[in-house]
Amino acid sequence: MQFDIQRLTRCAVLTALALALSVAEGLVPLTILFPLPGLRLGLANLVTVYALCRLSGRDALLILSARCLLGALVGGNLTALAFSLAGGLLAFLAMWALLHAPGLSLFGVCIAGAAAHNTGQILAAMAVLGSSAALAYLPPLLLSSLATGTATGAASILLIRRLPASGLMRHL
Amino acid sequence: MNARSSAADRTRPTLLDGAVVLFIVVAAVALFIALKPAGGSVLTATVTVDGQVIAQYDLTHLTEPETLEVSDVPYPLVIRAEPGRIRVEKSSCPDNDCVHIGWISSAGGQIICLPNRLIISVTGSSESTVDGVTG
Repeated sequence: MQFDIQRLTRCAVLTALALALSVAEGLVPLTILFPLPGLRLGLANLVTVYALCRLSGRDALLILSARCLLGALVGGNLTALAFSLAGGLLAFLAMWALLHAPGLSLFGVCIAGAAAHNTGQILAAMAVLGSSAALAYLPPLLLSSLATGTATGAASILLIRRLPASGLMRHL
Repeated sequence: MNARSSAADRTRPTLLDGAVVLFIVVAAVALFIALKPAGGSVLTATVTVDGQVIAQYDLTHLTEPETLEVSDVPYPLVIRAEPGRIRVEKSSCPDNDCVHIGWISSAGGQIICLPNRLIISVTGSSESTVDGVTG
């Protein structure tokens, strides 16, 4: 791997942005409106989508891992790390695969990412609890991911259009 | 730069996006039907911590409200069972999601506290399985 200061800086800035977005999102939890555990908008996913579209899969994965690790250090614990990693990695895989499939827009990609994230979180919950009880939350979470995925999909379309890769460093 | 895809250039949803949505809806409905709880007139609430049953209440035949303090967990909490319903009354955790969920009173209802690895679940059956409180 070639050491590239521009790439390093870009990844660092995007990691900080993803972390800030997930903290900001935690300040206004959706769960107050809808008491469904695990429900959130998934703003940090915007950064993953951006990195997947405009940088590379490897950079996106690095940013995602760094975000999960730092997020657990800042505000959480080991359980929180398992949750964000399980959700984040599944969402990453789903979005990476669908971005390479023809015929989809970012709406479909983000909705699939949100659904995959929820599935990953429930799988982590099942592993932590050693029980399949948490599975009951998956159907409502999957349906909610249609709404949250549409919202982040619309946001990511705006983001990708306004911020092309070549202009990223200038914008920053 | 690599990993550019046509999806990044589209600004409107496509037919395949609809297929993704349809797939998720079908999965959610199928899972919902598969997990549909067994009905029954007798409700039993089971409290487990780390997979161990620590208490069981026959909610249907409960006459007096019961309070259970769970203190041997990372975030101690208080569970209250009343005739036909059960809830987490107080919790020392920062989120208090379990308290906000409120009462659960039907078969299939459950409250899950991940940090404590605690599950309260209500199941329905046609006959009473417990006479009272254990644990």
